[in-house]
Amino acid sequence: MSPAMPSRRRARSRLEISLLFLPTSLWLTLFIVVPLAMFFIYSFWTMKDEFLVRGFSLANYLRFFAHSVYPEVLWRTFVLALGVSGITFAMGYPLALFISRKSGRTKSILYMLVLIPLLTSYIVRIYAMRLILGSNGLINNLLMMLGLIREPLPFLLFNLFAIFLTLCVILAPFMVMPIFTSLEKIPRSLVEASRDLGASEFETFWRVVFPLSLPGVIAGFMFIFILTLGDFLTPILVGGTQGMTFGKIIQMNFGIAFDWPFGSALSVLLLILSLLIVLISSRFGALREI
Amino acid sequence: MKELLRLDSLTKAFGAVAAVNSVSMSVFDGEFLTVLGPSGSGKTTILRMIAGFEAPTSGRILLDGEDIADRPVNRRPFNTVFQDYALFPHMTVFDNIGYGLKVRHAPSAEIRSRVEEALKSVDLTGYGARYPDQLSGGQRQRVALARSLILRPRILLLDEPLGALDLALRKKMQITLKEIQEKVRITFIHVTHDQEEALSISDRIAIINLGDLQQVAEPKDVYFRPENLFVARFMGENNLIGGRLAWRNGDQVGIETPLGEIRSRAVGLGDEHPAGSAVSLVVRPENIFVTDEGGAEDMNCLDAEVVREVFIGSEDKLIVRPRNHPGMEIMVKIHSDAGRDARAGQKIRIGWRAKNGWVIPGADPALS
Repeated sequence: MSPAMPSRRRARSRLEISLLFLPTSLWLTLFIVVPLAMFFIYSFWTMKDEFLVRGFSLANYLRFFAHSVYPEVLWRTFVLALGVSGITFAMGYPLALFISRKSGRTKSILYMLVLIPLLTSYIVRIYAMRLILGSNGLINNLLMMLGLIREPLPFLLFNLFAIFLTLCVILAPFMVMPIFTSLEKIPRSLVEASRDLGASEFETFWRVVFPLSLPGVIAGFMFIFILTLGDFLTPILVGGTQGMTFGKIIQMNFGIAFDWPFGSALSVLLLILSLLIVLISSRFGALREI
Repeated sequence: MKELLRLDSLTKAFGAVAAVNSVSMSVFDGEFLTVLGPSGSGKTTILRMIAGFEAPTSGRILLDGEDIADRPVNRRPFNTVFQDYALFPHMTVFDNIGYGLKVRHAPSAEIRSRVEEALKSVDLTGYGARYPDQLSGGQRQRVALARSLILRPRILLLDEPLGALDLALRKKMQITLKEIQEKVRITFIHVTHDQEEALSISDRIAIINLGDLQQVAEPKDVYFRPENLFVARFMGENNLIGGRLAWRNGDQVGIETPLGEIRSRAVGLGDEHPAGSAVSLVVRPENIFVTDEGGAEDMNCLDAEVVREVFIGSEDKLIVRPRNHPGMEIMVKIHSDAGRDARAGQKIRIGWRAKNGWVIPGADPALS
C-alpha cells in the first residue's frame, strides 16, 4: 500500500463531510453571519442630517465612551442582570433540587409546571406581570382590601424595580432547567457513596451534589445574563420612563432616533460582552449542560 | 468463629412484591461471604439493607447483638464498594480516598499519611493527583477499595464490584480481592451472580433465589452437596435424576429411577422422608467416569450410548443416553486424554461411586 492512499481517502471523506454541512452552513451564513456583518459595517458609518454617510469612522464608538450615560446604562443593565441571575438562582436552585429528588410521575409533572410558562408568548407573560403589579393590579387590590394601604403603591410598576421583578419571574425557568439537568446527571451511587463514607446529608450536598451541579448553575447564569442584557420588551412594557436599560437604548436608536449606525455600534458592544460571558461559562463546562 | 452480624427474618417488600423474604443467617468475624443469586433474586437488596440504603420492611439486622436496622447509613461501621465504583469525578484520587477521613475531621497530616499508605496497599503510589477519568477500570476498582478500607470498617460490602471488568482482569481482581481480604482480615460480604467467582474466592456462599435464602455453606458443600433443586441446578452443570426412595439402610439409600435402582448416600435427606417419597439424585458430571467394570457394591453402572462429544479444552464433555431409558441425557466430563476416542454413536459403560451421589427431597418436574 502506498502512503498516498489513506491520505487521499481522508481528503475525500473530509470533502463529503463538508458537503453534508453545506445546507446548514448556507442557512447560518445567510441569516446570522450576513446580518451580523452588516451590523458590524454599519457601526463604522455615521448619520449626517438624516443621511447615511458610508465611510469608515470610529465616531459611534467614541460617542459611547464620550457620554457617561451610555457606559452608565450598560453598567446598570449589568448590575440588573447580576441581580436577576442571583435571585433566580437563589429561588431556582432549591426548586430544581426539590424536583430532582421526587420520583416518577410527580417529578415529570413538577418539571412540566416549570416549563409551561415558556409555552405562552413572552409578551403575554410581561403583560401578566403588569396585571399583578399595576395600580389596579392584584397586589395593590389585595393590600387595599386588607386595609393595609389606602392608596395603590406607586413603586411597583414603571421603574427599574418593576423590570427586575418581571425578569426574575419570566426568566426563572432558564435557571431551573440547566440546574435540574445537571442534578439529574449525578449518579445516585455518588450520593450513597458519600453517605456510606460517613458524610451527613448536608455534607454530601455541599461536597458532592453542589460541586457537580455547578456547570448547570453557570449555564443558568449565562442564560439569564444574556437574556437580560439584550432584553428591550420588558423595559418598554413595565419600565416606564425611569427604567432605562441597554437593550432599550439600542431599540430606541433603531426605532425612534433612526440612528442605525450608533445602534449598530451599541449592538456590537453588547455582542462582544455576550460572547465574553459565553466564553467564560464554557470554560466551566456550562455548555455541556444545555 | 465468632458471629459478627446476624440477619433475623429480614424482609423487604416493594409494593406487593417481596424482594427479600424472611432471610435469616449469620456472618462470622473475618470471613469472606458471598451472596450469590441470579439477577433479580434480591441479593443486592440484602446488601443495601445491611449498608443502610434501604430500610427493611420487617426483621432485624444485629451487629454484635444490637439491632442497627434503624441506624442511618453514615453511622454504620460498614463501607461499600459500588458496582460502578462511585468515585467522585470532581475529586482527585487522593481526595476520593481521603473523603471518609475528611468528613470525620481527621487532621490533615493524618489524612496525608493514611492516604499514602492506602495508595501503596493497592499499588497506586504516585496516582494521588489524578482524576478518576484518567484511570483504567482496574485502577478505579482499586481506588474504590482503598477509599472504603482506609476507614477500617467492621464489614466491607461489595456490590458486584467486578461486574464491569473484562474476563482476564476479573480473574486477576478476584485474586487481588481475596489477598487483600486475607491481609486486612476484615469481614467481606460480596454480592455476585457469577458462580465460578463465588466458588473461587469465598469462605462461605449464601445462595438466594426469588428473595428466599436457599443454602449457606462452604463452596465445596454448595457445589457437591446442594440442599435443593435450585442450588443443584444453579451451581454449574449437574445431572439430576428424579425417582422414589426405595429403601434406607444407615447412611445408604436406594432410589427407584427409570434407570433402575441407584445407590447413594443418605446425607442431604432428613429422616422425615419415608420410603416412597419423591427425591432427586444429584451427580456431578466430573464424578462420572467411563468404565469397563461390572457393578461393584459401591458403584452405580449403566450402559449408554454417546450422543455427542464437546471438547472444551481441559475436559471432554460427553452427552450420553442410557440404553434402558434413551429419553434421558446424562452429562459426563472426563479428562481430554481419556475421551479422545469417544465418538457419537459409540456404546460405552459409565459409572459413579455411591458416595459421590447426593439425594435431595422433591422431584424435578422436568425430569421424570
